Formats: sequence, C-alpha cells, structure tokens
Amino acid sequence: MSDDRPSDALARLAAGLDKARTQGSDKPAGGEGDNAGQQQALGIGFRIGIEFVVAIVVATGLGWAFDRVLGTKPFAMIVMFFLGVATGMLNVYRAITGQSAAVGFRRPQGDRKD
Amino acid sequence: VALELHPLEQFKVEPLISIHIGGLDVSYTNSALLMTIAVVLITALLVLGTKRGALVPGRWQSAAEMSYEFVADMVDSNAGHGAEPYFPFVFSLFMFVLFANFLGLIPYSFTITSHIIVTFALAAIVFIGVTIIGFAKHGMHFLRFFVPEGVPIALLFLLVPIELLSYFIRPFTLSIRLFANMLAGHTMLAIFGGFAASVGLLAVLPVALDVAILALEVLVAALQAYVFAILTCLYLNDALHMH
Repeated sequence: MSDDRPSDALARLAAGLDKARTQGSDKPAGGEGDNAGQQQALGIGFRIGIEFVVAIVVATGLGWAFDRVLGTKPFAMIVMFFLGVATGMLNVYRAITGQSAAVGFRRPQGDRKD
Repeated sequence: VALELHPLEQFKVEPLISIHIGGLDVSYTNSALLMTIAVVLITALLVLGTKRGALVPGRWQSAAEMSYEFVADMVDSNAGHGAEPYFPFVFSLFMFVLFANFLGLIPYSFTITSHIIVTFALAAIVFIGVTIIGFAKHGMHFLRFFVPEGVPIALLFLLVPIELLSYFIRPFTLSIRLFANMLAGHTMLAIFGGFAASVGLLAVLPVALDVAILALEVLVAALQAYVFAILTCLYLNDALHMH
C-alpha cells in the first residue's frame, strides 16, 4: 500500500495535468487573446482622452509665448489655437486608427523608396 | 459638520535631510526617498528573483521573468526590428513608473508620478533621446518626417506646422497623461477619505466608494505605466523606421 501510493499519486497528478492542459489549451488561446485586445483598447481609451486637450492647450500657450516675444499680440495665439485644434484632431484620429501617434503618414513602401 | 479637507496635502514635497550646496537646494525629500525605494525594490526583484535561475521558476523568478517578457514582447511588437538595443531603457522606464505608481497607492506614502516635473523629466528624456536616435539613424533625412508624402505644395504650408506641432507636443501629452491620472485619482481618494472622517456613521458610504476607487486606481497605475512604455516604443518605432 505504502509502495503503491507514490506512483498512484503521480499517476493522478499526471492525469490531472493532462486534463488541465487540454482544458488550458482551449481557454487561454481565446481568453488571452480577448484580454490582450481589451488591454489594448483600454490603453487607447486612456490615451486619447488627454491627447486632444493637451494639443490645444500647448499650442495656444506656444502662441501666447510667440506673441510676447514678437509683439504680435493676439494673432500668433489665434493661429496657434486653430493649429492646436487641428493637431489634436489628427492625433486622436491617428491613435484610433492605430497609426500610433506617428507624425507623417508615410506608408512602408514610401520608406523603402528613399 | 465641520469638514476638514486637505486633499492636496499628500502631494507636498518635504525635505527629509536638508542639503544645500552653494545656494542650491538638493535636499533629500520624501519624493527622492520613494524613488530610492522604487529603484531598490526593482533591483531586488530582478537580482534576487533571477539569482537561482531555476528551470521551474518560483514565485519571485516568475514575477521577474514575466515583467521581462512582457516588456520584451511590447518592444518587439511595437518598436519593430532593430529596437532591441533600446529594450533596457524601455524596461527601466516601465518598471520605474509601475513601481512608483504602485508604491504611491500605499497609504501614507508619496506618489512620485503625481508631480508633473517628474513625469515631464521622464517624457523629456524619451523625447530628446528619440529625436537624437532619429537624426543619428537618418541624418537630415529625418526632417522629411514632417513632410507628408503626396501632398500639394500649397497645403504643405498648413500641414508641416501641424506635423511639427504634433511632434513637439509628444513630451507634453506623455507627461500630462500620467501626472493627471495619478493626481486625480489620489485627490479623489483623499476627498472621500476626508468625508469619511467627518460624517460619523455615514462614513460607510465614502469608505465603500474609496475601496472601489482604490481598485480602479490599481488598474490605472498599471495601465498608465503600460501606456507610457508603449508610447515610448511607438516613438522609437517612428524614429527608427520613419513611418
């Protein structure tokens, strides 16, 4: 009996492992993929929330600074504000379409050309 | 009910050891202490965790290997080919931000990443480094990065400034995202904590809410570290491959 038990326990363990593996091979494949997708979606969601606002604020701030330096009061700030809006939209668009926050929308082929 | 709310007090940087060198205040502060703790913990996890190098990893070795593989995967799939030399940097960055965020969640500790100067310094390192890599790799060609292809010349006067702006905004979005998330979360926790202290038995409600927010903050702490690292990878990818 006492001789039997270890091999018995080992056999049970092996059977258990096999079972877990067959179950596991099904689950993680789908589950992990889902998780990764969700993770990425969450990451993107948290990213773009701030992208738009910061673009406008930073651009307007830069415009204000240009105004101060060049003495062209309201103009640089106005122009930069609209540029900021455009940049913010562009950044959000790129983040959503998965082109990252990449500057320049060059295709991979364009890069091989030069 | 007298409300005594000081939700922003937790962000105060206080010198622990006063050091002044030639009119420069370089005191060792609570912020510096938390940074030291973060670095020591990361080093401990990685050095002690991988010391034995067992074939079947234990808990600590698993944690060390998982974090390594997680970031290695991230760099590989996001920064593309040729980004391997920059893996140590991205890994350090990710681990530092992750540990800083998590350490900040411990009550009575201090959240380094809730200070814009800290996150901006990190983002500036990334930005300057990536720009240098871009120029080193492509030379003056890197400037073509700001000129979209196949666009009429008339439109370039509009598009190049937008592209330039969108490039120079990177360190700001990178740093403000992390800082704002940490600041907002911790302020919220402190506000509800303050409510709980002043409403007697009703405190159950704010405390329950605090527990829920804390759970959210754990998610945000990990996610923001992830976002910070993944954006670093994407920027690296831009500089290395220019698309």
